Amino acid sequence: MKKISLLTIPLFFSLMAAHAQQADSLLNVLNSGLIKPEVEAVFKSTRVVLSHSSETQKKHDLDMRIRHHFGDIGGKFGSAHTLYGLDVASDLFIGFDYGITDDLTVGIGRSKQDELYNFSGKYKLLKQRTDGKMPVNLTLFAQMGWIAREPFSQTEFTTYSNRFSYFLQSIISRKFSSRFSLEVMPALLMRKNTAESRDPQNLFSLGFAGRMKLTRRLSFIADYTLVNGLSRPNDLSQVYYNPLGVGLEIETGGHIFSLNFMNSEYILENNFISNTKKSWKDGGIRFGFTISRNFTLFKSKNKDPDKTSKIY
Amino acid sequence: MTWAIKITNFFFGSLLLLLQFNAAGQSYIGKDVKITLFSTTPVEDIRAVSVRGTAVLIAKTREIVVQVPIRTFEFDRRLMQEHFNENYMESDQYPLAKFKGTIDQGIDFTKDGTYSVTVNGTLSMHGVDKIRAITGKVSIENGEIRILTAFKVPCADHKIKIPTLIMTKVAEVISITLDGKLNQIK
Repeated sequence: MKKISLLTIPLFFSLMAAHAQQADSLLNVLNSGLIKPEVEAVFKSTRVVLSHSSETQKKHDLDMRIRHHFGDIGGKFGSAHTLYGLDVASDLFIGFDYGITDDLTVGIGRSKQDELYNFSGKYKLLKQRTDGKMPVNLTLFAQMGWIAREPFSQTEFTTYSNRFSYFLQSIISRKFSSRFSLEVMPALLMRKNTAESRDPQNLFSLGFAGRMKLTRRLSFIADYTLVNGLSRPNDLSQVYYNPLGVGLEIETGGHIFSLNFMNSEYILENNFISNTKKSWKDGGIRFGFTISRNFTLFKSKNKDPDKTSKIY
Repeated sequence: MTWAIKITNFFFGSLLLLLQFNAAGQSYIGKDVKITLFSTTPVEDIRAVSVRGTAVLIAKTREIVVQVPIRTFEFDRRLMQEHFNENYMESDQYPLAKFKGTIDQGIDFTKDGTYSVTVNGTLSMHGVDKIRAITGKVSIENGEIRILTAFKVPCADHKIKIPTLIMTKVAEVISITLDGKLNQIK
């Protein structure tokens, strides 16, 4: 009989416990499976510092982005004579990104350097899930650059196609916690307009970027792109550096301000990956900022009075 | 000894069944409770809705629990929804909002009727528990219980901070309505 009592006593206790905890346990049964497994907001913005993040625009949202890179803070071109670079605009950018769906974004923009126009597409292919079915996000990014400026020399754009460059990137990201996200970005830049014949027209790069939320609205962001040593020889007559940017990102509901420090003069991938000539060492660090404003273009077609929002 | 085990198993098995039956007879559950949020300022009205709330009512103890996963709230604009989860509710850390309370008066849940009730209990949201007395209506029709309530939640009560920059767009006190049907567990 000992065996029986051993078996039944715990059963009896669990039964009583179940009775006492009934409301909660019933609730847990009801709620299992209701919490969405997709991870949201891996990054706050569609850009980190220089590089793209894995985020896309929401459906029917238009993002207007104005970026500015100032001149060198230190070194020959910096210091007090240029107010630590603030007198100089090394690059300016204005661009628009539009979300066709939540996962597909198209973009257009123009930057001052080379009068470079860009046309881009970005597609979120895979999304990280909390249920273990998908550990990472995968976003594909493609961008065409078109140099609109007059040629510097008569031979520069002998064929018109030399003005175009193509950038293909896959962005693999993961939100490790609600505060911390990382991404890796292997990419290929195809261009014709190279300064040296030994500089390859097809340039491979590997980018790394991260976000660390300091408060709910303030994040520390950083990105680094490895270009040298992959497909580019190290002994070119012009010395190129790997772009490194750090910044603070402030989100205020629809607006995102980002204050950046980076060694790259340029703003677009088609330019900064191939042409960064400044180093963090010799005062080549510069200040820059981004203002991003989100607009909802079309009123959503939802007629549900429970979720209509109205701006007076 | 096998006969003894058989008999005890049968005995406890039927006891278990009885207890379950007994308990089930007193419990009501609702799977698609509708909960709406409404924030209004002179600048902007914001509404959101979830139809994924769940509720449990134990008739004998008059205990009622309502729970809703924060991420099931839907907004007109997806970016707003993301901000709601990321900046205000921090739903990664606090995925559920829950109210657990006791109805202040005895109700015969087997008889049709409508009662105005006060439910005393705890509202848990954004990691903060707040003792609340929430008034509402309980109506019973053909064994189906409907619960209806409207109440206000000050954001500050649950440590939900609204930055001064957004103050004109998001109200400091959010109106919440709840409408759910509960059925007896069979």
